[in-house]
Amino acid sequence: MTEIILMAHVLFGVGCLLAAVWLFVDVLNASEANLLRIRRVSLAVAGLMWVAFIVAGYFYVVDYRADKSIILKGPWPFAHNFFMETKEHLVIMLLLMTTYLPIAAANNLAANKDARRLVLLLTAGIALLALLVEGHGAIIANGVKMGLLAQPH
Amino acid sequence: METNSLSKYTVSFGLSLALCSVVNAMLVVIKEKSPAVQSSMQKMTGHHWITHSAFIVLLFLLCGWLFALPNSGRGPQVAAVKLARIVAAGVILGGLIIMGFYLFAD
Repeated sequence: MTEIILMAHVLFGVGCLLAAVWLFVDVLNASEANLLRIRRVSLAVAGLMWVAFIVAGYFYVVDYRADKSIILKGPWPFAHNFFMETKEHLVIMLLLMTTYLPIAAANNLAANKDARRLVLLLTAGIALLALLVEGHGAIIANGVKMGLLAQPH
Repeated sequence: METNSLSKYTVSFGLSLALCSVVNAMLVVIKEKSPAVQSSMQKMTGHHWITHSAFIVLLFLLCGWLFALPNSGRGPQVAAVKLARIVAAGVILGGLIIMGFYLFAD
């Protein structure tokens, strides 16, 4: 069950990242024809991030203690001390950015150049930050692996 | 026809996002430097991170609503370009404080 929760948070996180990239491209080509889709995808970005956040939060609070112990005893303690510590707080910012996205996307992006620029900035920021925390997650997972490999058999 | 105005909630929640990104980072520094703060956050919900997240999300919603109230409910008059700069500055500053703290100060 722990592994399913762990993989689910990655799945929803990657879904949020891909949806943000989709939205960026759609907003570049904003017109009356795709406004409804832009608003729906912006809601999907927020929804996917909220699910990823709650699932990841459950794992972090309930199950992460064992992984943390393995990481800190292994050769990659920085996987927790830097990467997990920063990730757990950067994702709060990511959650706020994705929550704000549907509010910004509710403007008429087809007719409002400034609103379009704001949403482009926001979606680019979301995609980059999501990519960064996905990378952090990979290093944390490798920290556990390195810790396990270093244990005496 | 092109328009330039943003909705009042786009402005108010944009300002709230910038503010809460910095507050989020400051709270990281405060709770890591003060065991008493971290302990009290732990007691509130059972885990300091849950308290931290809940506080920042509620602050974001509260500030977004409050910032929409000035000017007889029309919200603050901030140009879109300036709002985008404020949002970017808040998010980048928040991220740099968090990463800088764990890289150099913790």
